[in-house]
Amino acid sequence: MISQQITMVKKIFADGSPCKKCGEIEEKMRDAGQLAQLDKIVIANEADPKSEGMQLAARYNVERAPFFIVEREGQEAEIYTVYFKFVKEVLNTKTSEDEEIKEIMNDVDLDFL
Amino acid sequence: MSSITNIVDIDSKLSAQTPQEILQYALENHDNIAISFSGAEDVVLIDMASKIRQDIQVFSLDTGRLHSETYRFIEQVRKHYNIHIDVVYPEASRVEKLVKEKGLFSFYDGDHKECCGIRKIAPLRKQLLTVDAWITGQRRDQSPGTRAEVPVIQDDKAFARPNDKLTKFNPLANWTSKQVWDYIRENNVPYNELHDKGFVSIGCEPCTRPTGPGQHEREGRWWWEEATIKECGLHAVNIQK
Repeated sequence: MISQQITMVKKIFADGSPCKKCGEIEEKMRDAGQLAQLDKIVIANEADPKSEGMQLAARYNVERAPFFIVEREGQEAEIYTVYFKFVKEVLNTKTSEDEEIKEIMNDVDLDFL
Repeated sequence: MSSITNIVDIDSKLSAQTPQEILQYALENHDNIAISFSGAEDVVLIDMASKIRQDIQVFSLDTGRLHSETYRFIEQVRKHYNIHIDVVYPEASRVEKLVKEKGLFSFYDGDHKECCGIRKIAPLRKQLLTVDAWITGQRRDQSPGTRAEVPVIQDDKAFARPNDKLTKFNPLANWTSKQVWDYIRENNVPYNELHDKGFVSIGCEPCTRPTGPGQHEREGRWWWEEATIKECGLHAVNIQK
């Protein structure tokens, strides 16, 4: 089995307040016992472009938070900006359709449909 | 074209091109690709695409709550371009459950997302599982607060099949509403009669209203809800590449 390193990047606003969605997902992962499967949690501090999370966001061209980086030896890193996809595809955990739709709803503008 | 670098490079190249050139690229590079048609001014995509390829796939979401003008318009477009429009419906049992528990206008009491989730997102998701790429009429000027960074091509992670890729094209991303309407008039493209009644953005009947002079089109949607800025974005201004 190929070893993998999983990093979660969560955000802090420029005014120092935490990102609500990042907090909710972290809490959900804690309740589900998934936090233990992460190797690292890093902060993207909007007030500090040099913070590790902001640098990772720039490197992988990610514009949403939280996001997950899955690194496997000899392979290109995989980036997950959708939580349910991450837990399904990487942590092999089942999610309900309602939960998935709810997450999409929070991330997608619908006024073009 | 699946890697991050490739998508960014292609976006950078396509951004300088016209919507027709972007559509041509999309249609030439994907056989299983569909246009999402909302029954509004995104009809220009059908007009442009039909001049590139005759066998275009088009789908529309029928939420069950559209204006009768929109239904008439979808039918008009189908006949005008002689195309098949795949009309997609929400799952009846989920709509029944929502109405039974919360009534027909639950969106006015809470937020619109539960209803939109059932009537739009679930059927859209089901439809997108059947394609490799899709085309939308999203433009940056539609919602400056949340859509300022709409790329012309993106890796659609939310709707992709498990462990697969879905590419999303937004050929009109860089166009303004005026450019869209200039195109409609210059090319005699049919349009939804609601536009003549003051509607700019057209969605479901209970959740869409005409806008007045000087109002942004977004003000015609879900107007009873407080406008909020999405907080999940990582503000690019702070990201040093």
